[in-house]
Amino acid sequence: MPSPPVIYGLFVDPESAERGMNALHRAEVSPKKIVVMSAEPFDDYSFSKMDHATPMPWIAAAGGVVGGTCGFLLARLTQEAYPIVTGGMPIFAAWPSGIVTYELTMLGAVLTTVVTLLITTKLPNWKPKLYDPEVSNGRILIGVLDPSDAARVEIENRLRGAGAVKVKATNTHR
Amino acid sequence: MAHQWGMAIDLDRCTGCEACVVACHAENNISTVGEEQAALSRAKHWIRVERYFEGEFPDVTVKFMPVFCQQCDAAPCEPVCPTFASYHTSEGLNGQVYNRCIGTRYCANACPYVVRYFNFFNPVWEKPLHLQLNPDVSVREVGVMEKCTFCVQRIKAGEIAAAAEKRELKDGEIQPACVQSCPTRAMVFGDLNDPESEVSRMARSGRSTKLLEEVGTRPKVNYLPRDSWHGNENG
Amino acid sequence: MATKTAEQITVDLLRPLSGLSGRYLLAAAFFAGMVVAALCAFFYQAYAGLGVSGLRTPVFWGFYITNFVFWIGLSHAGTLISAILRLANATWRRPVTRCAEVITVFALSIGATFPIIHLGRPWLAFFLFPYPSERGIWPNIRSPLLWDFFAINTYLISSVTFLLLPMVPDFALVRDRSEGIKKKIYGALALGWTGTPRQWHRLETAMHIMAIAVIPVAVSVHSIVSWDFAMAPVPMWHSTIFAPYFVAGAIFSGIAALILAMALLRKFLHLEEYLLPIHFENLGKLLLVMSLLWFYFVFAERLTAWYGNEPSEMAVFWTTQHGSYSPLFWTMVFCNFLIPFPILAIKKLRTITGTAIASFTVVIGMWLERFLIIVPSLSHKYLTYSWGTYRPTWVEITITAGTFCAMVLLYMIFSKIVPIISIWELKAGQHVKTHAVRLVVRSNEAGAD
Repeated sequence: MPSPPVIYGLFVDPESAERGMNALHRAEVSPKKIVVMSAEPFDDYSFSKMDHATPMPWIAAAGGVVGGTCGFLLARLTQEAYPIVTGGMPIFAAWPSGIVTYELTMLGAVLTTVVTLLITTKLPNWKPKLYDPEVSNGRILIGVLDPSDAARVEIENRLRGAGAVKVKATNTHR
Repeated sequence: MAHQWGMAIDLDRCTGCEACVVACHAENNISTVGEEQAALSRAKHWIRVERYFEGEFPDVTVKFMPVFCQQCDAAPCEPVCPTFASYHTSEGLNGQVYNRCIGTRYCANACPYVVRYFNFFNPVWEKPLHLQLNPDVSVREVGVMEKCTFCVQRIKAGEIAAAAEKRELKDGEIQPACVQSCPTRAMVFGDLNDPESEVSRMARSGRSTKLLEEVGTRPKVNYLPRDSWHGNENG
Repeated sequence: MATKTAEQITVDLLRPLSGLSGRYLLAAAFFAGMVVAALCAFFYQAYAGLGVSGLRTPVFWGFYITNFVFWIGLSHAGTLISAILRLANATWRRPVTRCAEVITVFALSIGATFPIIHLGRPWLAFFLFPYPSERGIWPNIRSPLLWDFFAINTYLISSVTFLLLPMVPDFALVRDRSEGIKKKIYGALALGWTGTPRQWHRLETAMHIMAIAVIPVAVSVHSIVSWDFAMAPVPMWHSTIFAPYFVAGAIFSGIAALILAMALLRKFLHLEEYLLPIHFENLGKLLLVMSLLWFYFVFAERLTAWYGNEPSEMAVFWTTQHGSYSPLFWTMVFCNFLIPFPILAIKKLRTITGTAIASFTVVIGMWLERFLIIVPSLSHKYLTYSWGTYRPTWVEITITAGTFCAMVLLYMIFSKIVPIISIWELKAGQHVKTHAVRLVVRSNEAGAD
């Protein structure tokens, strides 16, 4: 699928990136079209605060419940299907079965977290719509996806005004 | 009612001759390990005669008793086996399933009587001793645990014969190899669920004790020690 | 640490990934050779039987289980540092987390091989896995060895993901600075990471959840390993103290291993400006606490046994304290407490070299502790006629040495492929600090108005 055109500025530090973000908001660019990329998380800055809500902890807990149920069923159903007497213990021994249930609960939570992470970040995605290797060099990328032709020049000026050391635009489709 | 196999050993009759040890080797296809390996404590005597010397010459007392798998009702070796190779049968025996054993040796560690043995090497019978192997008993390979089974092959043979003849088993009809070979008839095997069997009567004796009873294993072997070991000269 | 620019950090921490010195290759060849020797010893043992080892009646567990418990214990390094310090928001942890997590993954992998190495019939190890079969084979969930199976696998999967997830942004970094085939490989590993706030936030949330999840798992793993012993009615094994005792001992040996690893990395990868004396100070203090905790557990256990005066327990007690195992016992006390305590307690001695020496003795002492828990008890069970002894053979010694070399080799290979210090976390930590300073300055200025 061809990538949409994009304009973005590369900022050297989080403060100027913040200004760039604010400039884009003042230009009334739709938040859905704004793209941010950085080589480290900037949790304290507002430009990083998009897309924060996630039900991941709840999903992980649900995964734990599923895992625990599987563990319990594994212990109960299989021990009762192969009822072999050992050491005078009951066939379904509660304490040992509890241990297996617990381990599979934790495994369920962990695996669910990993899967949720991959799904919500849409990784792996080896052909992202937009990426600039400058980001690895410490630049913070703030840009606009698919800008309207009329707004292009204004966006570019605002980004430069906020302190972008480089502004790039792609018309080509990747 | 199902049988519950047990044994009673009258230590007053036991002379420590170890005929039982030899008979067990012959009956159950237990190989000898050689002098070097025996020195490394790797001999596999399913039944052994434990000897304790007390006092200085000439006032030495020797206390000895045959020790073998006690077929415990609360066997600590059973719950710890990860593959159910050690389990409890409906007739009260601790069964060892050689095919399931992967040799973790946890059961041997858990057994307080140290009556479980491991095949550190493949067993060897130099020709022509291989001709004496008992066809009723499997030969265990390297890496597998083994122990006294109360000669379960003889128990099964007796039960099958009795069932074929549509009769009950008689007390004393089934004899494990050690019981059969004991010259003083110190060892008795029978059904603990039959109150009239000799083993039950011996178990009810005032002299009857169990080995390591305080560990809570509920063993099925009753030992009747000599009174002289308790300081009673008149035995 | 003098604030470094992001670029400086990147260059410094990526430097170990390039170039193979002659010294490196020689060391790697030596360690690899030892690993091969260990493999040969194992195959020989699998072929000839466990008789080639020193095991015998009644000591059916010896070096292999000692190693098993030791390596699983060592794997608690990563959990403590990474997970607990992350949750406690301790800022000094940042250069240390990946070193620790790597120790966990490799130590756990090595430890998990020992249940197979020590089997009488290792080719049937799959009997432990719950799979449906017509032969009526099913594992016994009442057995502590099965609990080991579930616990170690859970912990291994959790630790591997806990290690791999934060590596993705660093893979992206290496990808952007490489060419050709290297770029392709790191590109694949980086999963197409771009660094959007969505990705960062999800990653950090996932790591937070995993940090919370992996701590109870780690506690349970070593408790379960301890129950391999505590569930059997063996004198001095059947004790309720085993679970917390082992977990404390595991964390103790884990921190020691981490300090040692950091000291070696600092020297050989020239990370003097990243692994600072303050890190060794802080970890040294933790090691001191764990040393005291270890002493407390040993004292409590031995006091209770001695006071109870139960004959079979006392036999084991005296053989470790006065009898044939006493040289090992007192060496262990020296290594775990008498040497580390003064070094770690006196600030002047709590230097990088000091903590490294203390850690080295602790690693030895903890290995001895595992040995002394297993062998003296097994050699002195209830019936004195069947008391025995144990002496390892070249097979066990070679395999043991091979696993230590395997650990070092794996670590050496890892530090060549992946930056051993998490670059993005370090950078994030730096700007958190400067941002906090700026907030303080701003609020001061606001207050002054």
